[in-house]
Formats: sequence, C-alpha cells, structure tokens
Amino acid sequence: MLLCQGAQAQKIIGRQGQVSFFSYTSVENIKARNNQVSSIIDLESSDIAVSMLMNAFVFEKALMREHFNESYIETDIHPKASFIGKIMDFDPNLDAFQVKIIKGTFTMRGMSEDLEIKTKIEPQGNLLVLSGTFETKVEAYDINIPPLLAGNIAKTITVDFIIEHEPYVEN
Amino acid sequence: MLKIKLGILVLVFGAIGHANAQDLLSILDNETADTPYVPATFKMTRIAFGHSTEVRPKNVLEIFVANRFWNLPTESSQSFVADRMNSRIALEYSFSDRLTFGLGASTFDHLFDGFLKYRLALQKGGDKGWPVTITLFQNASYDSSAIPDQTISDGFSDRVAFTTQVLISRRFSKNFSFQLSPTLVNRSLGLANEDPTSIFALGAGLRYKLGSHVSFVTEYYARFNELESRETFSPVAFGVNWELGDLMLQFMLTNSWFMVEDSFITKPRFNFNFRNPNLNFGFNATYVIHFKNRLKP
Repeated sequence: MLLCQGAQAQKIIGRQGQVSFFSYTSVENIKARNNQVSSIIDLESSDIAVSMLMNAFVFEKALMREHFNESYIETDIHPKASFIGKIMDFDPNLDAFQVKIIKGTFTMRGMSEDLEIKTKIEPQGNLLVLSGTFETKVEAYDINIPPLLAGNIAKTITVDFIIEHEPYVEN
Repeated sequence: MLKIKLGILVLVFGAIGHANAQDLLSILDNETADTPYVPATFKMTRIAFGHSTEVRPKNVLEIFVANRFWNLPTESSQSFVADRMNSRIALEYSFSDRLTFGLGASTFDHLFDGFLKYRLALQKGGDKGWPVTITLFQNASYDSSAIPDQTISDGFSDRVAFTTQVLISRRFSKNFSFQLSPTLVNRSLGLANEDPTSIFALGAGLRYKLGSHVSFVTEYYARFNELESRETFSPVAFGVNWELGDLMLQFMLTNSWFMVEDSFITKPRFNFNFRNPNLNFGFNATYVIHFKNRLKP
C-alpha cells in the first residue's frame, strides 16, 4: 500500500508518536510518557527527523512532572528535544517487516549525543510504523541532579518509541 | 592533495545530507503547535508563611507540618533547644486541578483552621498568553484557647476569624517569581472598642532560585489599618526553600510565631530583629502523596 503512495509522496510523517522513558534504581522507578512526538522521513534519502515537546511528558506523579519541567529539563528554556539522522540501508519499497539501524544525533537541553538505534520498521496498511528501544546516558545532557537525589535517578535511561507515519502532503 | 580534495568532497556531501535532515526538522517545527509552557512559579504551596498561588493537581494529598521556635528574653532559660515552639499540622487535599481544601491545627495559639484555595487563572507564555497566575484563598479559623478574662465575650462567632485573599503571581524568569496578595482579615476575639474588626493588608513575596532545587524567598505583609489598643508589627520572613522530590522543606527567619493568616497578619507583637523573642526560626515540611497514577487512564 505504502509503496504505491510512496511513489507520489516522498515524505512520510508521524504526528502523534509515543516516546516513553524509564529510570530504574533500587530506590525509585520513574516512568514517563509523551504522546506528542512528531517524526518525518524522506523516503528518497532515508533521512529522518524527530521532534518532541518536553513539557508533554506525563509522569505517574504529578509533582514529578513539575520537577522535571522546572528543575531538571528547564522546558521553558529548552522546550523541544530533537533527533536528526539516517536510516541505514533502508528499503522504502520493501512491503515487509525490516530491522534497520538509525544513525543520528539526539539534541536535548542544547547538548547533543550521537546514537545508533536499532529500529523495527513495519508497514501496516497505509502506515509505516517505526518502533524500538535504546539507552542514553543522563550525564550527556548536563542535567543538574542534586547529590541527595542521585540515587533516585538512573545513570542510564531506557527509551521506548513507537511512531506511525502516514504520507506527507505538502501544503 | 587528492586526499584533501576527497576529504572536502565528503565534508560537502555530508553537510548536504545534514541540511536535508535539518529541513525535515523545520517542517516538523511548522507542523507542531508551539504552546509556550510556564513551569512552576513557586513549586511550594507556601512562599514562606503565606500561601503562594500554587495548587496541587487532582487527588494529591499534602501533609504539611510547620514549626516556629523562639526564646524568651530571660537570660536564665534552661529550655532544651528553644524556650517555646508553635506547631501547625495540616492535611491539604486537591479535589480538582484547581481546588484544594485544607484543615489544620496549631498547638501554641490553639487555632483550628480550614481553607479553600481555587486557582482562577494560570500564567501562559506566547502571543496568546496570559501574564499572571491568580488564585483565590479563603480561610476560617477557630480560636479554642481558654480565656479566663470574663469581660471578653468568647462565643463561637467571636472566636471565628476569616481571611480572604486574591493571590496574584508572575514568573518573570527561570530564577525570579513575584507575588502580590491583597488581603482582608476579619476577626473580633479580644479586641478593644477602638480596634477595627476588618484589617486590610497587601502581601508581597518573591522567590529567587539559587540553584536548580534551592531558592531564596522573602515575604512581607503591609497593613493599611491595624489594631489601635496594642502595638503590632507587620510579619516578615527571609527563608530558603529546598525541593527534595516528594518532600519539600522550608527554613526561615521571621518575627511571627503565628502560622494562620488571620493571626500572622494582624497579631505579631514584635518587630523583626535578632533579639529574643523577636527572632523566630521557622521550619516547614511538606510531604506530597499522589493517589492517582497519571499514566493510567
């Protein structure tokens, strides 16, 4: 399905992607979910860009969200996090499940980290669904964690994502 | 030479690939509505002794313990740590994201108090934003102290006092938040004939962040009228607020050992200085309990 449309629309877009992150320590487990993640893929060049609103992360505890926005991420100064990269050896015309590596740079709070993300790419009717899991280190983003709370926040954060892309129509 | 040329070629093409991805990102920026978000103005529901515009979201319970410690002027005091203390223990529950109800009791001044706090408007950034957060505050307190003086009328209506506040705050920057609190206090217990039962005041408070989790706060209430029969002073506090996840601590120096609005605005008997019993050390601890997991529908 996607292929026929893919011939016309060279870009596909996901507007309501979901990103979750997990921090597991012996003291406290922290989970958060963001349903306002957008992503766009250029099928010709296999370039991908992802953008997410940091204040859209919802936590189990409401107060944790306030701390996250005000004291850790400072979302009024750094409202968005972004990823730009390339899907390696991507075959946009393959109408089957494929697992590819996405190489790129993730930027949050003005700090960048190069990531290689193993991604499942699955056509579902009209949609192309990208999903996967990767890990990133908290220290890469210059986040101020008070020593007293250092034990509550994991050094390595696990990130899950699932983004459904549809053909992008330029206005 | 060839190697350098090749290197330049790779660089140029690399940059083109990068530029393409950047273009994609700018498409996304146009796609996503930019809703400027203003993080917490004070985080804590008190600036120092007075309420801030903050209310907790729905189904959150705050256990709030406030203490004031002070010494008597006598030199020969043999008390442990401090001569006197006043404690207020309160439970504050949020019925919605805007409305909080609280009940508290104070030990030294025998006050029982209840309050309702409703957030009317929230500061928002951007062109279609709104400049301030406005919270309405209403409390009622009951003075249960024994009054040996038979000339003082001490029926239920005499012992009840009310405070109405319109709290208006703005988060000016990441570090600086400011609040104005127009206040009306109505109380009658133990007042002389010349004393007003209604006292108008304007509170001002600010927070300056010293670090990501520590801030300096100060608060002051200017009274437009005050008790005539005895001298009272405006309450003032200088403090440090410290956020520790679910636990939030406040430390302050103040001239008021009262902790309920109608008392600390109208009653402080001493001005702020470092003599006893004028100087009070204050310590508030707030523990936040969440009854709702926001990740579950």
